[in-house]
Amino acid sequence: MEFGIRNGKVMVIMVTRINIGPVHPSTHGVLRLVADIEGDTVENVEAHIGMLHRGVEKLVETRKYLQSHPYMEKLDYVSPLAYDETYVSAVEAALGVDVKERAQYVRVIELELQRVASHLLFLGTMCNDIGQMFTMFMWTFEDRDMVLRLLEQATGERMFYVNMRLGGVNLDLPKDFEENCIAFINREEKRIREYEHYLESNPVFMERMKGVGILNRDDAVELGVTGPVLRASGVQYDVRKNNPYYVYDRLNFEMQTEHKGDNFARYKVRMLEIKESLRLIKNALRMIPEGDAIGMPVKLILPAAKNREVMVRREVPRGELMMYMIADPQSPYRLSIRSPNFVNLSALEYVARGCKTADLFAILGSLDMVMGCVDK
Amino acid sequence: MKIEREKLLEKLEQMKKDGYTYLVKITAVDYVKNFEVLYFVRDIEKNDDQVISVDLNPDDVWVPSVMEIFKAADWYERELYEMFGVSIKGRRIKKLLLEKWDGTSFPLRKSFAWNSEYETEK
Repeated sequence: MEFGIRNGKVMVIMVTRINIGPVHPSTHGVLRLVADIEGDTVENVEAHIGMLHRGVEKLVETRKYLQSHPYMEKLDYVSPLAYDETYVSAVEAALGVDVKERAQYVRVIELELQRVASHLLFLGTMCNDIGQMFTMFMWTFEDRDMVLRLLEQATGERMFYVNMRLGGVNLDLPKDFEENCIAFINREEKRIREYEHYLESNPVFMERMKGVGILNRDDAVELGVTGPVLRASGVQYDVRKNNPYYVYDRLNFEMQTEHKGDNFARYKVRMLEIKESLRLIKNALRMIPEGDAIGMPVKLILPAAKNREVMVRREVPRGELMMYMIADPQSPYRLSIRSPNFVNLSALEYVARGCKTADLFAILGSLDMVMGCVDK
Repeated sequence: MKIEREKLLEKLEQMKKDGYTYLVKITAVDYVKNFEVLYFVRDIEKNDDQVISVDLNPDDVWVPSVMEIFKAADWYERELYEMFGVSIKGRRIKKLLLEKWDGTSFPLRKSFAWNSEYETEK
């Protein structure tokens, strides 16, 4: 039995330890939380991860470069294309292969479509997490399906694309892609405005989001969070702007930041990013040059790697993905993956401390985790 | 930038004062003959990244904890301990990161099953 002072009186403090999971309510994988709760306030929360651990970093050491290529997408199955692209870029950097001009545009268009799809899924599942069951989820899934259809048209696959090849892509954009894509963008821009209007005029939604789970600027930097979570706390950092790759420096887009650092800011940053990505895709479609975009054919034996030490950084939908590779001639000697979800989840402990039990899931939803990438 | 293990804390503290407040990642590479632990730090304002690396003897694998300097190091250090068997001096690792791990073998070392040929070469 412990005593403590609450509201100026000495009282008995009862801390209950409860186990949550091991199932994530919106099932982006499996997560178990152990929370210490006093009354309805979360005193401490511990995340137990590792239930999806597949040993990716070890596995790639035993395979040739292109053998591990399709496997990279399974890390984050909500934005597989971004992981596909990062790994191929790391191999390109090791081999010293340049990417063709048109292929760079094709990659950017596909990556941004992937970002839109991923953020749409976030919106749906986060609304589920705060108890707005399935209305939003079905709307955003309809939209996401349209993106998947576009990506299917461009790559031939709906879920795991494996469309990147060394120096280019596997399939170039089809003839009517531009037309379909513009039609989608015009529709989606309207839909996003509608969603924002519905959600932000809903008092229940706003109460769950505003002022909950605040992560201020200094803490965000200290905890090393990344991506939309970092930008929602007012830190200006986006790899696409700070260390531009491909043709991002030629395309016109703005980095989106918010300042409050609460759930609402994290939601808002993602909404703004969807709009910005749609604008970016339009822009890229206008600027894309004619020419060849097809990369090298798939061969088990590649030209031997030139560079021993390679580091590639990319802004994937959930934050900054970094792959640090020590390259042997035909396979990675070591591939270290800095997963954006891993750091964002490690911050949960600090963000959730002192919040209400029900808000724990709103915060978890707003951090937007995919456990496949946390556990690796 | 290579640095000696004894000077690591001092160096990182100095770097943090100079504006490198963001820890990107801690990772390690097992070169069989030696171990390398890498600290990726970043100055967000100046948009500059630095890598600090420490070489370790495989018979004496430990690094000091940098938790006091960067809170973000928490999970990375636990991962480092669990995957590479690099002990972290200055903090007790209370809880392991991944569930159901026997705590005796270190999967990302080259001597672990899959890469055992590196062990025999040695």
